[in-house]
Amino acid sequence: MNSQVLSVFDELLRSPRAIAERSRAGGDLRPLFVASLAALVLGAGVFGATLATSRGGLQLLYSGVKLPLAMVATMLLVVPAFHAIAAGLGRPLSFSGMIGLTLAAAGRGALVLVALSPLTWLCFDRGLTYHPGVLLAVACYGLAGVAALDLVLKGVGYDVRGFAIVSLFGCVLFITGGQTAWMLRPFLGRPSDVSVPFFRHRESSFWDAVQQSSRSSFGLYKLSESFPDAEGRERSKPGPTMENAYESR
Amino acid sequence: MEQSFPTMISASQPSLGARLTSPETHGVAQELARLGAGLGLASLYGLALGARSGGIALVQHAVAASAGLAAVAVLGIPALFVLLALVNAPVSPSAMLSAGARSLASAGFVLAGLAPSAALLAVTIESPDAAAFVTRAGLSLAGGIGLFQLTSSVRAMLQDLTPEARLKCNALLFCFSLFAIMLAARVWYALPILKGAA
Repeated sequence: MNSQVLSVFDELLRSPRAIAERSRAGGDLRPLFVASLAALVLGAGVFGATLATSRGGLQLLYSGVKLPLAMVATMLLVVPAFHAIAAGLGRPLSFSGMIGLTLAAAGRGALVLVALSPLTWLCFDRGLTYHPGVLLAVACYGLAGVAALDLVLKGVGYDVRGFAIVSLFGCVLFITGGQTAWMLRPFLGRPSDVSVPFFRHRESSFWDAVQQSSRSSFGLYKLSESFPDAEGRERSKPGPTMENAYESR
Repeated sequence: MEQSFPTMISASQPSLGARLTSPETHGVAQELARLGAGLGLASLYGLALGARSGGIALVQHAVAASAGLAAVAVLGIPALFVLLALVNAPVSPSAMLSAGARSLASAGFVLAGLAPSAALLAVTIESPDAAAFVTRAGLSLAGGIGLFQLTSSVRAMLQDLTPEARLKCNALLFCFSLFAIMLAARVWYALPILKGAA
């Protein structure tokens, strides 16, 4: 069993097509499940802890635990949607095969995150600040996501229908994963925080944050907390308000 | 180029999704059961949305989510059959029932698959607008897949028609698709979460 698990690690990186075919074929998927889950927990844990090096201390432990938690929770939530979308578009797969495929894809993505961890650590060590750090993390997630979706695509078929299934699944994954991670933040930690919270208190949502960030990127800032008498109004003068200055990811 | 996936379901027992979305036609009773299963599965999505408010909202959302699909089944598919028959399309009531059941089961199955994500999002998103957007996205995705299944099934019945007759049928299918979208949207708009319910 152990040697099988180790060989699956290798296959996850080198032979995504073989992994995809194994998931489709069914049979004994336990080595695949174990290896993928181990890769997921280890990879996301290492990358989570690496992100927290900008803050250090207890945040290292918290992020190392929370990032794998966020990824596993997201997988649990989106696998039924993936199964249903694939079946609805004429590519039904057995549910265990679908779990194997999704878990393997997540494990592959997490291994990519491990590979990117040293570079990320070096960037933070050389003084990368909070907001560029967030962008770097997003870029790493993007690369890992591409590696993961490549495996999924091989599982559902490299054609127009396969692309449609993976695109729709990607949308569900993005929204669900974003909100799950949003609930479990902070991963980097606010520079202004005196103590390190395990969870940030509930405020707005991932979707609201995306909207706010989009507005901010065009230089539109909402006046609310810093200027209570200007509730709901927007200003175009650049510069963070209380609202976005204390935003954390 | 389309790849063939003859053994996507390798196990001897096909999955629930494969059975619900299978293009094979069955007897009336089995097709009605498939349709009912689709509507039941759609209500899971409604329950997930109702978790935002809890209580009676659970039932309201469950009923409204299924009702959108049921409305298309009851009001849309018989009308489509009549119109196709008027242009001499080779469709039979049993084939239309099968196509309708398959499409509604697909839509219901997708809604059920989205239910866990929808529950998380409905409960944790604070903004009513964002919650409504996510709800609409889920309904659009499932409705789109259902409509795709229905039009694919009907178009498969039109293979042997002359190009002129096929054009007429395709035009009817296009009009039906618009009608089905408007009808389902009209019914789904009864969902309290789409009206900004907190």
